[in-house]
Amino acid sequence: MTRKDQNFYLALLVPAIAVLLLFIAAPIVHSFFLSFHRIIIGLPQLKTPFVGLDNYRELLNDPVARHSFWVTIIFVGTTTFFELLIGILLALLIHHRFPGRGALRACVLIPWAIPTVVSAQMWRFLFNDAYGVINYAIFGANISHYIPWLALPPTALLSIVVADIWKTSSFAALLILAGLQVIPEELYQAAKVDGAVVWQRFLHITWPLIRPALLVALLFRTIDAFRVFDLAFVMTQGGPADATNVLQLYGYKKMFVEGWMGYGSAISVCIFIMVMVLAIAYVRMVGRRLLEASV
Amino acid sequence: MKTLKIMIIAFGIAGLLCIGVQFAWAEKPTTVVFLTWKPNQPEVWDTAIKNFHQKNPDIHIKVQVGPHSSTEYHAIVAQRLKNRDKSVDVFFMDVIWPPEFANAGWALDLTSRFSIKEQDKFLPGPITANTYHGKIYGVPCYLGAGLFYYREDLLKKYNFKPPTLWEEMLTQGQVIMQGENEPGLHIYSGQFKQYEGLVCDMMEFIWSNGGAVIDQKTGKAILDDPTVVDAVSFVRDRIIGKAAPRGAINYEEPESLDLFIQGKAIFHRNWPYAWAVANDPKKSKVAGKIGVGSLPAFPGHSSASTLGGWQFGVNHYSTHPEEAWRFIHFMTSHETQKILALQASLAPTRKSVYQDPEIQEKRAHLKAFLPAFERASPRPLSPVYPMISQELQRFFSQAITERGSDLSGMAAATSVKIEKLFKLGAMIQE
Repeated sequence: MTRKDQNFYLALLVPAIAVLLLFIAAPIVHSFFLSFHRIIIGLPQLKTPFVGLDNYRELLNDPVARHSFWVTIIFVGTTTFFELLIGILLALLIHHRFPGRGALRACVLIPWAIPTVVSAQMWRFLFNDAYGVINYAIFGANISHYIPWLALPPTALLSIVVADIWKTSSFAALLILAGLQVIPEELYQAAKVDGAVVWQRFLHITWPLIRPALLVALLFRTIDAFRVFDLAFVMTQGGPADATNVLQLYGYKKMFVEGWMGYGSAISVCIFIMVMVLAIAYVRMVGRRLLEASV
Repeated sequence: MKTLKIMIIAFGIAGLLCIGVQFAWAEKPTTVVFLTWKPNQPEVWDTAIKNFHQKNPDIHIKVQVGPHSSTEYHAIVAQRLKNRDKSVDVFFMDVIWPPEFANAGWALDLTSRFSIKEQDKFLPGPITANTYHGKIYGVPCYLGAGLFYYREDLLKKYNFKPPTLWEEMLTQGQVIMQGENEPGLHIYSGQFKQYEGLVCDMMEFIWSNGGAVIDQKTGKAILDDPTVVDAVSFVRDRIIGKAAPRGAINYEEPESLDLFIQGKAIFHRNWPYAWAVANDPKKSKVAGKIGVGSLPAFPGHSSASTLGGWQFGVNHYSTHPEEAWRFIHFMTSHETQKILALQASLAPTRKSVYQDPEIQEKRAHLKAFLPAFERASPRPLSPVYPMISQELQRFFSQAITERGSDLSGMAAATSVKIEKLFKLGAMIQE
C-alpha cells in the first residue's frame, strides 16, 4: 500500500467520521457542558452561570436520585436475567428442525418489532385493575381478589419488568440463535457416538460455544435496560410513590417538565458514564472470549 | 377589429387604475400572528376569527397551529418568546403559566388595557391566575374546574340529596352499596396517579378543609399544618382502597371516568368535559342518570375546585400590541364566548354569558357548573410552579400509597423543599 493510497483511504473515512462527530459526539459534549451550568428555563434572569460540579454534588445528596438509581438497578438485574434465560430457551426451541419453524421464528420476533410505546399502552390495559385481562386470567369472575397491579409499588415495578421481558426476550433469542447456528453438527454426532446424553451435550458443547453470543446479548440487554424510559413513562409516569421512577425518567422530568436543564443534564451524564463503563468492561470480556473461542 | 383591441386595452388600463387607486386608498391590513394549539373543533375558531375580520378589516389574523399537548405547546411558545421572536403576537397560556411568562418578561403587562372594571366582568379565579405581583398578563378565554358528578337515579332511589360533606358522601355511598349489592361498585372515583392531576384533586381536599400549600403572601409553605395533614390522611385512610378502588392510585382522567360511565362508581370528580361523555348513550351506561354540582367539603368549610383553562397573552416584543389587544378583546367578548360555548362546549369566563337566555336554554348544565367555577382557585402561583408541582406529586403519591406512613414528617420535609423553590421564584422578582 503506497502512501497515496493510504491518504485516499483516510479521505474516504472523513464523511463517516464527520457524521459521527456531528450527531453523536456533539450532543454528548453539549450535555457535559450543560451539566456544569445552572440553567432554569422559567427563570431567565438567573442567566446561565458556570457552577462547576455543584449539580453533581447535589445529585449525590439527592434521595430521589438515589432511590431512582436502585429502582433502575433492580430493573436492569431482573430484566436482563430473565431475558437471557428465556432467550436461551427460545433459541434452543427455534434452532430445532420441525414443521413450521420459519413461521415460529417470525412470530417470536413480533414483540420486539412492536414500538415500545404501543406495547406499553397494551400492558397498561392488561394490568388494569378493573378490566385487565391479567386479573381475569388469574382470578376469573372473583373480582374481590383483583390486584391493582399498577397501584402498588412492588407490583408496579414488577409490571414494567414483565412488559420489558415480554418485549425483548426475543431479541436475546435472536442473538443466541446466531451463536447456536455456528456450532458444527459433527460435534454433536461425535458426542452421541461417545454416549453423551442430552444434558451432557448441552453442558459440554452448546453452553461453552454459545457463551460469546450470550455475552453479546448480555451487553446489549444491560445497556438497553439501563436506558429504560418509555415503559415507565407510558405505564406509570414513575408512580406510585416513585416506585417506577427510573433514572432516565427522573432526568427527563427535571429537564423537560421542571425546566432544570443543568441538573437534568448531570443525570444524563451520569447514566452515560455508567453505561460507558459497563460497555467497556463487557467489550473487553467479549473480545477475550471471542479470541479464546476462535483459538 | 383594431378599435376593439384598443377598447379592450383601454378598459384594461382603466380597470387596473381603479384597482390601484382602491389599494392606495384602503390601508394595508396589519398582520397579527396568533400561535395556537391544535383545537378539537377548528371550524368554531375559524368562525370566530372570520367574525373578527369582518368587523376589523384593518387587521389580518394569521393563525399558526402548534401541537395539541400542553407540555409540547409550552415548549414551542417558550422557545420562540425566549428568543424574542417578533413573529408571534398572540399566544395561549395554560392556567399555571402566567407567573412564569410574566417573570421571564415574555408576556406583555396588560394592566393599562385590561381595566379593573373590565376584570370585574370575569369570574374571579381566572383573573387571580393571570395576576402576578399586582399586574395582569392574560385575558381568560375559557375555564375548567373540578366538578362533582353523581348518580342522580341512585340518590333518588335512596332518598338522598347530593352530599355537601365528604363524610356524608361516604355514609350515603355505604347505604347505596349495601342496598345495591352489586359486585365491582365503588363509592368514589377520581384521579390519584403521580402526575399533575393528583395535585389538582388533592388541592380540592386540602382547600375544602381550610388548608393551603403555600401562604401566597408570606411565601411560607404550610403543608405540615393540621388542616392539610388531616385532609391528606382522610384521602389515604377513607378514600383510597375504601370508597375508591385501590387502583385509583394509577388513574388519570380517562380511567376514572371509565369507572363512572360503566356504572361502577356512585360519585366522581372530573373536569367539565366529562358531562358530555357521561351523557352520550353510545359511550356511557349512565347517560341521563347523572347530576353534577360542587365537590363536598369538610365540616365548617366550603367546597373548593381547582382551576383549569386557557388565557390569551401578548408577546412582550410584539410590534403590534394595540392590534393584538383588539383581537384578544374580541375573542373574549360576550358574543365570541357565546359562540365557543354553544358550538365547542367551552365554559365561558365572562359572567354575563351565563345569564344569556340562549345559553341558559341550550347549555342548561352550565348553570350547575357555575358555583364551582365561581369558587375555582388557581394552584400555587410561582414562576417555578412545575418544580413545586413535582415535589407535591411526590409527597401526595407517597402519602396516599403507604398506609401508616409518617404524614407530618413527610409534609414538613416537603414544606422545606417547596419553600426553597418558592423563594427562588420570588427572589428573582424583587
